[in-house]
Amino acid sequence: MTAQPMGTGTVGIVLVSHSAELAAGAAHLAAQVSGGTVTIIAAGGTDDGELGTSAAKVERGLRLAESGAGVVVLPDLGSAVLTVRAVLEDYGEAGSVLLADAPFVEGAVAATVTAAAGGDLKAVAAAAEEARHVRKL
Amino acid sequence: MSASCERAIVLAGDLHARPAGALAVAAGRFASAVSVTAGGHTADAKSVLGVMGLGATSGQNVTVAAAGPDAREAVAALIAILSEATKVGGLTDAVWVYGKRLVAGWVTC
Repeated sequence: MTAQPMGTGTVGIVLVSHSAELAAGAAHLAAQVSGGTVTIIAAGGTDDGELGTSAAKVERGLRLAESGAGVVVLPDLGSAVLTVRAVLEDYGEAGSVLLADAPFVEGAVAATVTAAAGGDLKAVAAAAEEARHVRKL
Repeated sequence: MSASCERAIVLAGDLHARPAGALAVAAGRFASAVSVTAGGHTADAKSVLGVMGLGATSGQNVTVAAAGPDAREAVAALIAILSEATKVGGLTDAVWVYGKRLVAGWVTC
């Protein structure tokens, strides 16, 4: 991980969940653990508030989370990946977005802490993916 | 110029999620490699999940070690965070500030 940010601003995080409550709760937790300096956008549930994912919410989340240093997206389950990929196909700045293959809660916390420390896009995505290998017990 | 530094502290409270977060955010701002050791286990101080996985509790002895160009400042900042953030009500805004500036002066290595 790099000690200094590579671009301007801090890497943003978008949490894509089938549940609005799960996305919001994970965002709240990650913000508390990381000190509240990172933009974390919860993109959970369908447009009408049901369980599922919303391309419109993901697209809006990417724009809100971007502050010049890129955005790391964490999906909660595999099918959320389909929605994110569909959005990225038409997204103008897809090169500044990394989709992280990581456990949702642990990945969100690890990514946000690394972003708060000034890590660049690759470092933040790597922190999320390394969460898979960290034991709790 | 590279250096190494190590200091120990007795925790005033458990090393829960938010103190671990404050520690990892601060550690990540230093160029040096920084580790935290408790109960015979060592974690990368820049990994919040690794630090939480130590399960360090009140009264336990915790060692912070760093190697690199800003090792002394890193150890000073992390010892300060461990000292303050594990106290009841100790995780104030001031603790997060330790992650944003170099703390030195009272740590000698």
